[in-house]
Amino acid sequence: MSAALAPATPAEAAEALAGLTARGEPVDVRGGGTRSARGWPGPVAGRELLTGGLRRVVAHEPADLTLTVEAGAPVADVAALLAAAGQCWPQADARPGSTVGGVLAAAASGRSRLRDGAVRDSVLEVVLATGDGRLVTAGGRTVKGVSGFDIPRLAVGSLGTLGVIVQVTLKLWPLPPARGWFAAEGALADRVVVGEAALAGPPRPGAVILTPGRLHVELTGPPEDVRPPAGLGPSGAPPAPAGAGVVEAGVPPPAVADLARRLEAAGLPYEARMGVGTCLVAVGAAEEVGRVRAWAAELGGHAVVADAPEELRADPWGPPPPGLAIMRRLRAAFDPAGILNRRFLPWSA
Amino acid sequence: MATAPAPRTRDRFEELLGPGRVIDHPLERRLYARDGSIAQGECGLVVLPETTAEVVACVRLAAELGLPVVPRGSGTGLCGGAVPLDGALVMSVARMTRIVEIDPAVPCARVEPGVLNLDLSTAVRHLGLHYAPDPSSQGACSIGGNVATNAGGPHCLASGVTAQHVLGMEIVLADGEVLRLGGTAPDPPGYDLRGFVVGGEGTLGVVTEVTVRLSRTPPAVRTMLLDFPTVRAAGEAVGGIVAAGVIPAAMEMMDRLMTVAVEEFVHAGLPVDAAAILLVEVDGTPAEVAANAEVVERVAREAGARGVRAAADEAERALLWKARKSAFGAVARIAPNYYLHDCVVPRTRLVEILERIEAIAAEHDLVIMNVFHAGDGNLHPLIAFDRRDAAQVARVHAAGAAIIEACVAAGGVLSGEHGIGLEKRDFMPLTFSDVDLAAQACARDAFDPTGRMNPAKVLPVGSRCGELVLDAGALPAGTWL
Repeated sequence: MSAALAPATPAEAAEALAGLTARGEPVDVRGGGTRSARGWPGPVAGRELLTGGLRRVVAHEPADLTLTVEAGAPVADVAALLAAAGQCWPQADARPGSTVGGVLAAAASGRSRLRDGAVRDSVLEVVLATGDGRLVTAGGRTVKGVSGFDIPRLAVGSLGTLGVIVQVTLKLWPLPPARGWFAAEGALADRVVVGEAALAGPPRPGAVILTPGRLHVELTGPPEDVRPPAGLGPSGAPPAPAGAGVVEAGVPPPAVADLARRLEAAGLPYEARMGVGTCLVAVGAAEEVGRVRAWAAELGGHAVVADAPEELRADPWGPPPPGLAIMRRLRAAFDPAGILNRRFLPWSA
Repeated sequence: MATAPAPRTRDRFEELLGPGRVIDHPLERRLYARDGSIAQGECGLVVLPETTAEVVACVRLAAELGLPVVPRGSGTGLCGGAVPLDGALVMSVARMTRIVEIDPAVPCARVEPGVLNLDLSTAVRHLGLHYAPDPSSQGACSIGGNVATNAGGPHCLASGVTAQHVLGMEIVLADGEVLRLGGTAPDPPGYDLRGFVVGGEGTLGVVTEVTVRLSRTPPAVRTMLLDFPTVRAAGEAVGGIVAAGVIPAAMEMMDRLMTVAVEEFVHAGLPVDAAAILLVEVDGTPAEVAANAEVVERVAREAGARGVRAAADEAERALLWKARKSAFGAVARIAPNYYLHDCVVPRTRLVEILERIEAIAAEHDLVIMNVFHAGDGNLHPLIAFDRRDAAQVARVHAAGAAIIEACVAAGGVLSGEHGIGLEKRDFMPLTFSDVDLAAQACARDAFDPTGRMNPAKVLPVGSRCGELVLDAGALPAGTWL
């Protein structure tokens, strides 16, 4: 592996990419490296581009509830800065070491998505260094705005295959006055009933999560609203499901209980987010990846291998979605030499 | 007046749709040459498909004939996005009005694009649900048009604009291919094409079905009318409420001119001697509402509010909202025409920009009234004028340009929720470089390489993608991108 590229400014990142494109050299982009164990097995690129040097806070406007920050900034640093102003970017449960750009590239929405929305809805402006080294600014820094075509939505979740997110403006929220997790144990059918009651509210929960044998509910708001719902007691946040690898499934929200039933019967650790439809499943064998994917598909959803050793990533993506021709043209437009994060490019039919 | 479309062309579309669903009478076509903006276009044939299959057939025939296609919802857009140029084919989805499915378990609804915004909320009210984006035109505007413009509304302050409420869609591309993008299962793998289509202003294809998220109607709500002696005090209250950690469900401002016009029209008991009024709504649990209403009232009084009137019941709340949403109708009492602008500034710059707009009105000898979404800095300066006075119309355009430039100079953006369309297309270089605009053109072209879908909208003429290189180098076996 050649020496890593470590740009200190967005312009340097763009310049480095222009050089790589000119030489046709592939590159892997790395933020905090917390979500790198995905995609096709084996290193594809001979080089890495590290975003850790891009970590300046460009502008924090507390009264506007906006933050403009370089994308290599650690989420934990951003959270601390915002907490001091009584604010938050609702991704506080991002993995330790995560960067803002990494969370966005992976579209890794936090557990409070039920209340706070998907992470892509918090992005106001993006500066993208394209594969061939253009610095493209898209969106706008105000909390609301229509600014032409929504390139930020393409960049979020693109896993760095359209360009490197080098700077973003985020929409912030006030920190809730109080918050707390509550949990209960019991048979799945009973937990689902209690979970559905929590979803219907009031109060409107931040998260309603099923794990094997347990139901977890997060409440936020004035202290009067952060009290144990009927049948639940105070608890900590649920631990993430642990296994050799993790599969991220997405199913229509009403199908979450059905997916959970199958996972419990199979003895697979999982974290299923009621009302949202995402489900993390710990897997130990390629055969389990296939089973989870088949169940998700049967329920109208999909599953990708998100964090797993290479032997579980023979088919990391599953079948392709509609719109492939458009996606190919987008990739060609933003990374014409095809140098970026090739191992994150989905996938074979 | 546009030259009449060739009879043979009309016949071919009528073969696809049957009689009565192709409009070629010059007078009727004139109705489709405009939208809610002041832009005037030139309309060719108008087709009224009722099914996706008919949209596909019409799009394919348009492709064969080399006709540009302008998709159209209710035509209430305010930036010329639905205005056809050069005799383009107008494809109205106004007859696609079925609510296909309501699924309270998600909760979501699958609707055809011609369904009116308010009709959807009305249809799900008995389930304790509503559709959150609520433009002032919600009784007339369509969900398809809302998707095209990424529409907002007063309640988008807390709940977000259309893009956050569209889960999936069916879209017919320029070549007639039908794609289903997104759906109720979150985060499908690949790029977020669904999200990109929202706000695409009909340049990416014809959206023929939309799956929208429905929201649970909160158990408690309080609507307050705050009365301020100066615009500055009202602006300070807006910033103060947000800085105190409260994001109201809605926070709307009206200046004195507008308040007077609305009061004469609606008789809602608005304080006509106030320099500015704020309509603030908080919702949630009873505890949340009580806590947040207290903050709103305290901050407002600290900023100098003379009075705080909380709606006593649902009837009074409805009356206050009627006053807000009737604002544009009320202007008819002031002047025969109005030009409604839409731009956004950081909310910390509100007072400064309102003072600048007042100065622009004086400089151009015009009446400019303000009614807008103060909570998110989304201004709607409204210039009252008389279309028959050519000199005045010229001053209206000059003042509009000055307002846009002032908003951008204050760190703002060109549009909050109306879109770019024709109206602001040529202002895009104020906020974007040539490189930025070329990237947007490339992304658009990825959907419609022919450039026939709603051409000449959003991007300035001359924004080019350049040559796409489709050979993306050596990739791992089986890679599809």
